[in-house]
Formats: sequence, C-alpha cells, structure tokens
Amino acid sequence: MAGDGTPREDKEYVLEGFAVPDQLDAVHALLARAAGEHAELDPMDVMLFETAIIEIANNVVEWGRPEGDVRWKFTIRVRGDEIEAELDDTGQMFTPAQGKEMPGEDAEGGRGLPIAEALLDKIEFERLDDTNHWRMVRRLGQAPPG
Amino acid sequence: MDFEETDEGTHVVLAPEGKFNLVAAPPIKARIDDLVAAGKDHLVVDLHAVDFIDSSGLGALIGGLKAARQQGGDLRIAAAGDQVRAVLKLTNLDRILAPYATVEEAADGW
Repeated sequence: MAGDGTPREDKEYVLEGFAVPDQLDAVHALLARAAGEHAELDPMDVMLFETAIIEIANNVVEWGRPEGDVRWKFTIRVRGDEIEAELDDTGQMFTPAQGKEMPGEDAEGGRGLPIAEALLDKIEFERLDDTNHWRMVRRLGQAPPG
Repeated sequence: MDFEETDEGTHVVLAPEGKFNLVAAPPIKARIDDLVAAGKDHLVVDLHAVDFIDSSGLGALIGGLKAARQQGGDLRIAAAGDQVRAVLKLTNLDRILAPYATVEEAADGW
C-alpha cells in the first residue's frame, strides 16, 4: 500500500488442469480460498465476481476443442480496490461475441457473456500464440446490479 | 447434482441442491420435460438448497417454464438465495420468474 513503505505483493491463487465440467467446482474453491484469506472482501463482490468468472469458465468448458483435452490456468489476485482473474486455455482460436445485449426473457441460452460483462468492470480477451487469454476485473465496493 | 422430487397432487416440487450449473441443468430440464409430458405441468422449483446458479441453470428454468405454460401449467420458483436473486434481476428474468418466499406461497391457488 502506498505510504506504509512496504509495497505489498499480491498473492496469487492458481489453478491448473483440464477445462472439463468437474473442474468448475475447483474454480469455485479457488475463489473461496482467495476470499477466505481476504476478510476485507465484501461477500457481495465475491458472489458477483464468482458469477462472472464461472460464465467465462463455462464457455471454455462448453466450446473449447478438442473437447476434454483443453488445459486451463486460472489465476486470481485480490488487490486493494479490485479483484482480478486471468484465464489461459489451450482451446482452439476463439472470438468471443462481446458487447451483445442480454437476451430476451424467452431465450434459453446466450446469457453467459452478457452476465459476465454486466458484472465485470473489465473483460479483455486476446489470442496469444496457442492460448486464449481472458482477463477479468471487478472493482470492489460498488453497488449491486440493478 | 441431486434433486428431490415430491408430488403434492396439485403440483410437483423439485428441490435441487448445490450448484445449479451446466452439469446440473440438463438432468433437471429433462425431468421437467418428462413431468410436463406426463401431465404434471404445475411445478415448483424449490431453490432453498441452491447456493449458485449460472446461465445454464437459468436456461433450464426458462425452458421448463415455457414447456409448462405450453401445456396450460406453470413453473414457479421458491426460496431463492441472494446469488440466485441477483442473477435473476440482472438478466431481467425476475419479471417472468418471480421468486416466491416459500414453496407454499408459490403453489398457492393450485
């Protein structure tokens, strides 16, 4: 922190493995571990961030190919004013349909990315060599949605 | 995800537990479809034991709601927790899936 003379290292929480449905619980657990070690985090922020990053994780699990063979690495960092997740996956090149509106009431799908975008302050995607890279940031202490 | 099912005569209560996500949603949606096809088209999804829902879970609820209404029935949700309520509101689905406080309130009048 500025002013105390000892810059604080951000502790990282890392998960590596296969992007398969069973591993979604490990993503929840990773965030729970980060939140458990940061008592200052508002549970609402954690809950909304969790909702967002799971939608992105779902996307990789559902659409990443070759199915069952995609590896991913999640890294979560808690800072003074924000919480960040980075996700790298080895799936095929992918172009997310960012900026779409929330689907209408009757739609049974298509809400994943709009949910994530609504709950995050930054959501960045780029293809780096053979890896898809997502960066997701939520600023802390904002009002809940709506 | 396990879910309990209780036939109350006038309606059926489905009570999923844990995470209502892309793993859990397909079997619940399939069960709702089976129930509706069998004429059990008044359904309450009791969410008191669901601590997390994602867009797949929402999709299952919307799909179930549409299936039930097409047969003249309805699907209502009860006892939703904070995360479920927040996501329903964010997606505007609270307009057609208004969360009832209890299963009894959801099934009132059936």
